[in-house]
Amino acid sequence: MPNLGLVFFPAFDWMISPTHPERQERLLYTRDQLLEEGIFDLPQIREYRPRMASIKDLERVHIGIPSIAKLITPAHLVSAGGCLTAADAVMRGEVKCAFALVRPPGHHAMRVVYGIRGFCTINIEAVMVEYLRSKYGVKKIAIVDTDVHHGDGSQDIFYHDPDVLYISFHQDGRTLYPGTGFPNEAGSPAALGMNLNLPLLPGTGDEGIHRLFDGLIRPVLDEFNPEIIINSAGQDNHFSDPLASMNVTAQGYASLAAKLKADIAVLEGGYSVEAALPYVNTGIVLAMAGMDYSQVIEPDQTALHLQSTECNQRVDQLIDQVGQLWTDREILRKEAMSKCGRQWQRNKSIYYDEEGISENQRETAHYCENCSGYLTIETTAANTRFGDQNAYIVVFNRDTCSICRENAVALALKAKKTGKWDNILIQDKTKSIVANI
Amino acid sequence: MLLGIDVGGTFTDAVLIDGDVICSMAKSETTPDILGGILLSLDRLFSAEKLDKEIIDAEKMRITRVVISSTIVTNALVENKIDQVFLAVMAGPGMSTKGQFPVEPYLATGYIDHRGKVITAEAIDYDLVKKMATGKKVAAVSGKFSVRNQINEKALRGDLKKCNFLKIFSGSELSGELNFIRRTNSAYFSAAVYTKYADFIRQIKKSLNEREINAPVHILKADGGTLPLEASLEQPVEAVFTGPAASVLGIEALKPPSVNTISLDVGGTTTDIAFWEKGQPLMSPKGAVLAGFNTAVRAFHMRSLGLGGDSVIIRTKEGFVVGPERAGRAMALGGRAPTLSDAFITLGLVSFGEGRLAREAMKLYARGEETEKQVAHAVVEAAVKKIKRTIDEMVYQWGIQPVYTVNDIIAGNLFKPELLIGVGGAAPGLVKALGDYMHLPVEIPVGAMVANAIGAALAKPTLTATLRADTTENYYIIPEAGIKAKLPHYFNKQVAQELLTAWLQAAANKWQIIAPVAEIVAYEEFATIHDYISSGKIIYLKMQLQPGVLSHVIGREVAF
Ligand SMILES: [Zn+2]
Ligand SMILES: [Zn+2]
Repeated sequence: MPNLGLVFFPAFDWMISPTHPERQERLLYTRDQLLEEGIFDLPQIREYRPRMASIKDLERVHIGIPSIAKLITPAHLVSAGGCLTAADAVMRGEVKCAFALVRPPGHHAMRVVYGIRGFCTINIEAVMVEYLRSKYGVKKIAIVDTDVHHGDGSQDIFYHDPDVLYISFHQDGRTLYPGTGFPNEAGSPAALGMNLNLPLLPGTGDEGIHRLFDGLIRPVLDEFNPEIIINSAGQDNHFSDPLASMNVTAQGYASLAAKLKADIAVLEGGYSVEAALPYVNTGIVLAMAGMDYSQVIEPDQTALHLQSTECNQRVDQLIDQVGQLWTDREILRKEAMSKCGRQWQRNKSIYYDEEGISENQRETAHYCENCSGYLTIETTAANTRFGDQNAYIVVFNRDTCSICRENAVALALKAKKTGKWDNILIQDKTKSIVANI
Repeated sequence: MLLGIDVGGTFTDAVLIDGDVICSMAKSETTPDILGGILLSLDRLFSAEKLDKEIIDAEKMRITRVVISSTIVTNALVENKIDQVFLAVMAGPGMSTKGQFPVEPYLATGYIDHRGKVITAEAIDYDLVKKMATGKKVAAVSGKFSVRNQINEKALRGDLKKCNFLKIFSGSELSGELNFIRRTNSAYFSAAVYTKYADFIRQIKKSLNEREINAPVHILKADGGTLPLEASLEQPVEAVFTGPAASVLGIEALKPPSVNTISLDVGGTTTDIAFWEKGQPLMSPKGAVLAGFNTAVRAFHMRSLGLGGDSVIIRTKEGFVVGPERAGRAMALGGRAPTLSDAFITLGLVSFGEGRLAREAMKLYARGEETEKQVAHAVVEAAVKKIKRTIDEMVYQWGIQPVYTVNDIIAGNLFKPELLIGVGGAAPGLVKALGDYMHLPVEIPVGAMVANAIGAALAKPTLTATLRADTTENYYIIPEAGIKAKLPHYFNKQVAQELLTAWLQAAANKWQIIAPVAEIVAYEEFATIHDYISSGKIIYLKMQLQPGVLSHVIGREVAF
């Protein structure tokens, strides 16, 4: 059996705008490097052609307003489909692990979608997670997000899910988009401790991220013991990335991939298209294929600096603080649950940087003794492509019981009666549909 | 008139074609020295009608081109009759090259990056090179990304001049496409077969001279195109695998399929399988594999499966296994062990040899109450399933070729066969059985017995070249030509096309190829961005004199 299934889709005909970091050329040099190295000929690697995801696949995760179909391009269906192809390859046992080296990326896309934010419209890892569940019945999943930006979309989608462990290390949100990703954002009461944010100081390099991995991420993963590990394999921690200020090298990324042993990796960000991506991707591919990556070294290392001592201090602090949170998660969860009673609520202001959309959202988790409950979301957004929009949304989980379903529908009907909402939407993951009532 | 000669492992065939008419065909056994077989075939070709010398001489005068297809290079490789090669590579940082090449290479200093920038200049340790090169007559050099900038590869070649090699091959001149390992292996194999190949060419010229045939001589390449003999000396690796290519062209000449088709050339030992779309054989998305190593040799999307009429049959617990070993002649023809052909004869799918002996062959494998026919059915089914597995793998390989755009994905790449075409001695039996199994119609074209020689005779000349321009760095490169030059003041796709066409035309003239218009086979254009500002363009263009056949012929059947 080949070690690695590789789904490569550079989307040479998709861009946000001609000079945007997410433009046609982004994976051109990576393609050239992989071809020139002869990567696609290796017996350790089996190549896969991405398929197109369906709207149903997307609606297991997203509620698009006015509809997800109106907000995406065909490229999104291919990049999400590429993840599904990777998942199938692993689940069918055709390969040991897989890498969806695809674009457009996804980890800034949240459950409710009005447009593009942080270069993302749909969350391709989340679409894959829900697919793994509905097609293969996978329950416990860990996502390790190694992109320099906090994956606020992934956090948003899995915030209430006790079976998805989301771990993200990233450049501190006080110095970088999207400005979130602090340890106190640890999950809603029912899933407290399942969302681990590890904000690093700018300038952190290979030493720091490996110290963090060895000291915290590895032991946490071992204890959680997920059925599947997913790597949101962003590459913008690289020392040459134009959008961020970190000091990770291709070797740092490749050896991390070798240690992490993700079942499925999915490309996220990374915008040093010439100086970093060709080497980082080659390194990750070789590492995942179980091959020698020790010679994959960027020819230009002028922008590489040694990390300062403060970087490791921050790492050690996180290992302590977040490690404690992880250890205490059961107790903390009980405390939080008893404190909030049958409902837990959060208010969010979400800004869509690409399109200037501002969204206000109130999300309520409704708890139940017999099931995991359901969500209701009230959302309004100004300046979308379709003008001002709003919606009242009910989200059923897979196990939402019939009583909860009745209650939720009653809430939706009540909301409809107020006449306040243009859209009343029900998302049912078991049926993979979002229905407007 | 066109003369085609196919030097196969068993037979040397020759055909003479005038327009769409096959004037004469001849077959003789291939001799170890090649020359003998060719001479005998030529003599049979021109004496078939027992014409007098004057008429024969007049016919020979009318021959405008001779094309040879041969397995000679393949055989040299298979039998390991190759020269030791001094291989020097500049791999730079990246994937380890351990085990990727047929020999451990000398690792020279030097690295070019993906944009064609020299990161490290070429340098060698001459004492070490001298030591490693001792006793080696030929050399191959190759550098990573040398198709983007050949300066290091050229320098390395220059440095090796002191070693007095008979010939040095450069990877980037053999293929302008990305894939360092494949280019390196192409250069290596070119060097490894060089002296053997040069000798073969001398033999060909000599035998044609002896028979007073003075027309230009071409060799058939794996991609189905021809190249003048002299030109082919610069790329001997291209002359490998021409047997299967010839059979594909033969089918194209005899009966080009109009629907999606799988063609099967069923010989004694192997079955060559090719795919067709819209009347054209599909080219392999990657290069050919030689002696287990990937090369940059362009070839048809084909598989050679170790299964043919003479394949040995074994019965195991799981059932029958057919091939890949060859049993010798069918028992129906007096052979000693049951073969696949014996099964066909038993089932009445083909008719040669003694039916009684074939049935006895099947009986050897019968268990309990099983009849000969039941055994034969099971044998044929095993053979058919084996072919089907190969076809499925080929469909998969075709389907996963790299896709770079959303449009590619939407267009899809699924190959769905609608017809089977069989050529070769055992085709009627095997391909008909396969057609039943796959629920597909089957055609066996007339004249298929010498399809290879017909294909060779009618093959078009081809040339391929690539151009890559980087307007930010202000240069373009045509690796196959060894050209790197400053861009003209105004540059776009059309100018790129003119530059490349001009070179192809010049090369065609040099080799006296009457060149049709070169076609664009690949084009890419990207804007390069620096600090959110467009800084230039990268243009990649690949053009080719397309392979194919010069004309179609009307097949006829002859008994040899
Ligand atoms: Zn990012
Ligand atoms: Zn309930």
